[in-house]
Amino acid sequence: MHRLAFSKADTAKFISHLDLMRTFQRAFLRAGIAIKHTEGFNPHAFVSIPLPLSVGFSSSCEVLECQVLNTPLEEVPQRMNAALPAGITVQRCYDGGRPVKELAYVNYIVTLEYETGAPFGAESAIQNLLSRPALVVEKRSKKAKSGKVEVDLIPLIARATVEEGRDTIAMDLVLKAQNPGLNPELLLTAIRANCPDAAPDYASIHRRAVLNPQFQPWA
Amino acid sequence: MNRTLEHILPRVQKPARYTGGEYNAVVKDRRKVDVRYALCFPDTYEIGMSNLGMRILYGVMNEMEGVWCERVFAPWGDMEEEMRREGILLYGLESGDSIADFDLIGFSLGYEMAYTNVLNMLDLAGLSLRSEERDSLTPIVVAGGTCAYNPEPLAPIVDLFVLGEGEEVSQEIIHLYRKAREECWSKEEFLAAAAQIGGVYVPSLYEVSYQADGTLAEVIPQEGAPAIVTKRIVQDFDKSYFPVKTIIPSTEIVHDRVMLEVFRGCIRGCRFCQAGYAYRPVRSRSPETLLRQGIEACKDSGYQEMTLSSLSTSDYRPLEHLCDGLLEWCEPNKVSLSLPSLRADNFSLGLMERVQHVRKSGLTFAPEAGTQRLRDAINKNVTEEDLLRSCRTAFSGGWSSVKLYFMLGLPTETDEDVLGIADLAEKVYKAWKEVTPNPKRGVNITVSTAWFVPKPHTAFQWEPQITMEEYLRRVKLLREHMRGRSIRYNWHDSQTSFLEAVLARGDRRVADVIETAWRDGAKFDAWSEYFDFDRWMAAFESCGVDPAFYANRSREKDERFPWDVTSVGVSKAFLWRERERAYEAVITPDCRVQCTGCGANKLHVGGKCDA
Ligand code: SF4
Repeated sequence: MHRLAFSKADTAKFISHLDLMRTFQRAFLRAGIAIKHTEGFNPHAFVSIPLPLSVGFSSSCEVLECQVLNTPLEEVPQRMNAALPAGITVQRCYDGGRPVKELAYVNYIVTLEYETGAPFGAESAIQNLLSRPALVVEKRSKKAKSGKVEVDLIPLIARATVEEGRDTIAMDLVLKAQNPGLNPELLLTAIRANCPDAAPDYASIHRRAVLNPQFQPWA
Repeated sequence: MNRTLEHILPRVQKPARYTGGEYNAVVKDRRKVDVRYALCFPDTYEIGMSNLGMRILYGVMNEMEGVWCERVFAPWGDMEEEMRREGILLYGLESGDSIADFDLIGFSLGYEMAYTNVLNMLDLAGLSLRSEERDSLTPIVVAGGTCAYNPEPLAPIVDLFVLGEGEEVSQEIIHLYRKAREECWSKEEFLAAAAQIGGVYVPSLYEVSYQADGTLAEVIPQEGAPAIVTKRIVQDFDKSYFPVKTIIPSTEIVHDRVMLEVFRGCIRGCRFCQAGYAYRPVRSRSPETLLRQGIEACKDSGYQEMTLSSLSTSDYRPLEHLCDGLLEWCEPNKVSLSLPSLRADNFSLGLMERVQHVRKSGLTFAPEAGTQRLRDAINKNVTEEDLLRSCRTAFSGGWSSVKLYFMLGLPTETDEDVLGIADLAEKVYKAWKEVTPNPKRGVNITVSTAWFVPKPHTAFQWEPQITMEEYLRRVKLLREHMRGRSIRYNWHDSQTSFLEAVLARGDRRVADVIETAWRDGAKFDAWSEYFDFDRWMAAFESCGVDPAFYANRSREKDERFPWDVTSVGVSKAFLWRERERAYEAVITPDCRVQCTGCGANKLHVGGKCDA
């Protein structure tokens, strides 16, 4: 199995996970790079993105898995970049890598923006919120009968630092990646619910790194 | 990316349609362009991006030195709300710049129900709606497409209409615009000069008066504008521009595949069909050209689906030859080929099997009418035998789903014709029972009826649309006679068809109604989520315009029509003759069998059709 490391930014942030898979399948064809197909009645190019990114997030550490058939791996980034839409850039293509189950944590930079400057006390309010022994929020769930489940966010947060800038508060977060993972949107929900004065006008979310259980880069 | 936009996009549905940045989107250096063109489609991104005409014009204009053409679609309601709240003006997808500062704003008008979106988009751009209220040379509001063949309902809004195929005339307009700017012409001077370009209709140059009975009295051209504007066609279609390299959306659109344009025009002459008359004469591309374009377009796009898109694809003479060639490349490259709009009369087993070899999609036939008499009256030269033979062929090949399309309310239709639809569906079912190799799997026969809308430039342009009560009575009659579990009956919503009938044959007075309806919130009228019939009826009422005058009135032979100022090349005398033949239920041979002198041959430089 091969992996493509790529980033997703700017206009491409708004391409959904499913559309992104389709975009890659077509881009491989445009680039003239053959990749392995699935078997079966309706064979299609096999691509997989182990950790889907929410629409609207940017990322510098995305990974796509596939099997490149006819192309030297070092040629793949350049040829793919010529075939991809703006904002998606393949940095490298490599063989193997660590198993997906070792993908344990994700490092996010969440920037809270305030039109009239960060409110007084917002930073410490958020700090306090994250240092609570438990922080339970309601989350939508397809499995639960009520359509909702309660989750405690604290055990899913490995590290968090909060830093105040001029008009922004930046959170540097290391969150559990899977089984279960924590989407930083839920933290924003918790902030809005528990410290409404610290609620931002807008938040941008960037995925900076994916990490293994030892907090080393996973690739 | 604009920061405000970045802030609102996470809050709207399907944000990818508002960002641009797709593969092959043309981004130019602002400093190196002197003409900015906003190519607008008054519907959603998904529909507009599926329109081949948009892609052709986008390519043609962006190939011009110094011209940057960008796409603009109608934002869905949630996005519109955010834009209005945040003060974001309608922008070009490529640059993100507000189109109010562009030089030309061109709308593609494919269906009347998009008219309110034209107004809404102008308003979202921060522009005045009426041509007379926009007094500077910049921007010029242009409109083209099928609806431009009756430009009058939008006459007070649009500065100039382009009739017919836009490849050449768009370039001529841009050249003239450059000259006008260099020489500091006023908008009026520019429009008067533009009216001299073939295919350009400038509504403000025509003085319109009405008779006491509400029909048109006189239309007097000013400043040397032509009394009749004849549409433009591309002379050498084989060599004309085709977008081999075209934008591939990053999100799913309606026709997400390579569309090959096999020919323009149609040899048939169905009497109800506006496209059939308006796109005459027939011109085709050679199989060699199409093969090259198809393969190149697949390679460049990464699409794995290709379709032949033309009015009546199976009339393309070398169709089998073309399909052979395409399949030879498609099969090993896992690209599926589909052929829409196959006619029942020449649907061949061989062709079907080869197309089906790659993928099996549902079959559709459009007999349009239930009895042979009525099919003769509308000149739809399909016999029951043809249809049943094609169905048998398909069913014995293992197909088990057929869609049949009909119209209700065609001129001369009787209850017998209506019931003929149920009979035909029943016969199709029997044909399936006789020949199917897998009777256990069952069959799906879907019958759909639309309410006939008489259109300008057709043999039925004089005809009334039947009333809504009558249409619903015929639907009910048919529904009561549709038998069997395997046959499903759908009928088209009547209220939009009525409005379509009014707008299609409307005159300048209808513009006030459109504006009133829009001010009252009308937009996306083709979408049931938005369409509100009562709002439109209220608009007619408050403008003192009677919709029945346009929809349900039978016209005199020599009535002057609002669209008579435009010509598609087919003469009014020919259309009247076709109307008379309809009432006699006499068919007219297609252009290939015999030229019947419609007049469209004169659009060719040599004056000769090659059907
Ligand atoms: S001039 Fe004759 S051949 Fe040409 S489009 Fe008209 S009827 Fe057909």
